[in-house]
Amino acid sequence: MKKALAIAKWEFMEKIKSKAIIISFFLTPLIILGFSILPSVFAEKDEATTQAIGIIDDTQNYFNPLSAKLNEFKLEDKQPRYVIVNLFEQNTPLDSLKAEANRSVVKKKIEGYLLLTENQKKELVFEYRSLSLGNFNDYKRFEDTFNKIRRIREFEKANIDTSLVSSLLNNIDMNTVKIDEKGKESSADFKSQYFSSFIFIMILFMVIMISGGMLVRSLVEEKSNRLIEIIVSSCKPDDILKGKILGLSGLTMAQIVVWVLIGVAFAGQGMVMFASFQNLFLLFVYFILGFVLYTAIFVGVGSVVTTEQEAQQITSYLSMITISPIVIMIPAMQNPDSLLIRVFSYIPLTTPGVMILRLNSAPISPLEIAATLAELVLAIYLVIKISSKIFRIGILSYGKMPDLKQLFVWLREKE
Amino acid sequence: MLTVKNLRKEYTNTVAIDDISFSLQPGRIFGLIGPNGAGKTTTIRIILNIIKPTSGEVLFDGKPMDRSIQNVTGYLPEERGLYKKSTVLDVIVYLASLKNVQSHKASQLAIDWLKKLEILEYKNKKIEELSKGNQQKIQFITSVIHDPRILILDEPFTGFDPINQQLIKETILSLANAGKIIVLSTHQMEIAEKLCSDIFLINKGKEVCSGNLSEIKRQFGTQSIKIEYQGDASFLNQNKDIAHIDMYQNYAEIQLLDSINPSLFLRSLVDKIEIKHFSIIEPTLNKIFIDAIKN
Repeated sequence: MKKALAIAKWEFMEKIKSKAIIISFFLTPLIILGFSILPSVFAEKDEATTQAIGIIDDTQNYFNPLSAKLNEFKLEDKQPRYVIVNLFEQNTPLDSLKAEANRSVVKKKIEGYLLLTENQKKELVFEYRSLSLGNFNDYKRFEDTFNKIRRIREFEKANIDTSLVSSLLNNIDMNTVKIDEKGKESSADFKSQYFSSFIFIMILFMVIMISGGMLVRSLVEEKSNRLIEIIVSSCKPDDILKGKILGLSGLTMAQIVVWVLIGVAFAGQGMVMFASFQNLFLLFVYFILGFVLYTAIFVGVGSVVTTEQEAQQITSYLSMITISPIVIMIPAMQNPDSLLIRVFSYIPLTTPGVMILRLNSAPISPLEIAATLAELVLAIYLVIKISSKIFRIGILSYGKMPDLKQLFVWLREKE
Repeated sequence: MLTVKNLRKEYTNTVAIDDISFSLQPGRIFGLIGPNGAGKTTTIRIILNIIKPTSGEVLFDGKPMDRSIQNVTGYLPEERGLYKKSTVLDVIVYLASLKNVQSHKASQLAIDWLKKLEILEYKNKKIEELSKGNQQKIQFITSVIHDPRILILDEPFTGFDPINQQLIKETILSLANAGKIIVLSTHQMEIAEKLCSDIFLINKGKEVCSGNLSEIKRQFGTQSIKIEYQGDASFLNQNKDIAHIDMYQNYAEIQLLDSINPSLFLRSLVDKIEIKHFSIIEPTLNKIFIDAIKN
């Protein structure tokens, strides 16, 4: 065990001094933040300039209130968001009005125009016509503004008390409140749940990918320069295996501590993410067990690899499995108790990811937690057993990677 | 004393070594010699307890080798390499710690060794900044820093310039004089010839010959003679006592048939040509190696 510790210390110290780890310490949180935040930032980003919007109101009923209301929308710098141009002309056929308006759009004199007509059944038809139909926020403003005006008119026609009208027109948004087993309420909504689980699984994935990759690479290095023979002639293969897993786990813990500190430093985002989990402790248990399980697999697989290229391939395949729970993320959150999700909870490779999801969405019975933890620990034990058998022989064989048949022979070979 | 008894190692389809036996004395350098793929590395790995033999055993001072022996063995593998990104001192101290040497003691020993091999100024440099020869010196140090009782050196001289070869040679000799059991595995026959007192020649997993080097030479060399002469020696080409002859101007190397006594053969020559010099040739290890493998 003393030698295992010496190996663990070496793996930890040498890796923490390397440039790659420093990059991963600071770059990974940036990447994760980027993945989780940037899409929404971009989606909600305001268009910054005033737009000219034309209106052709063939009904001749709505132009004035509509342009007045649209003029009320302001940009952040208090400039009007829309400049409204009346494109309707008396005694000109609608088709030529549209043709003229289309030309203006093409020449970029206006961004687009709103067309208000009546069909044969005397129903109102409201269209927005533009070169690019990308901005969801604009449509929503046009639509809401128009409908509000229309409804107010209808209410007024029906002689309904105007003080009631505004109240009738208001939408009441529904909030979601999550209740945990102790009856405590929290206001986490689906989106924040989704993102916090997503971030956690991403972290697990990144950590496994980075450290698994490092592990395999260092094994390949030690194999190719035959250092492994010196090490194997100095200590038991099991000690090497333990030392490597231990050293890497330490490295990962250090990495997570750094990430949490970065999260705290940037306050908001980091804290919100952790606050939306009920069971931080359990979460970390699954996280660490998951990490150890994958690392043990990496050690076994890494020991049979001889070239950097093979190492890279294997690392990426294995990492894909870690991230696979993301596929069932939405069903898992919508229906955490479904059979499919339960089944995935008991497949060791997906247990950590799926349980992280489930912990975050609904209370899980202690029995199930105990069972999945036990299953995970058992899996780790078996994987370490198998890995160390493969490791023992794998680290001393060079050249072609063994096939499954050969691996089976190795597994049966006595020490 | 290290005794190797009837070692056999089988892999799925091949027998790597078959019935290998020898014993090694402290203070003597033992040459493990053989062509590529002969089974040298397998033998070394079994001695080092890296792999288990299919049958047979290795005894150290009469006791079976086990993990506890690992702290008193030193190993320099044939293919070299170290952690390139780490510093010289860190690497030496780490590998020493795997042999149970405390780190403060290890750094002191490391400095002594770096001094001895004339590379102390590199102690805080990264391995990758060192020349190939200096990297090899570092690796040599890692194999001896824990003062092993058994030292196994696989091709320790390749890659060194003549000056450094000399330095390493002297170091190995002084380790032998200090009573270490040393196994030298090599293709470089001239070096083995100078350093080894005992050799074991292995080919295709089997022993070809083994024992004290001078005895082996005597055994292989009694039928080879060299003569310097004056006169016409062409009659030698038809001589029935000769198995093989290399004739030069006034000088010939002759391999006699096994049944022929060299002294009697000399007597048969003196009437016909004037003999200036007569000697029984000790074959070089190189020749023994080539002959033995070919036969």
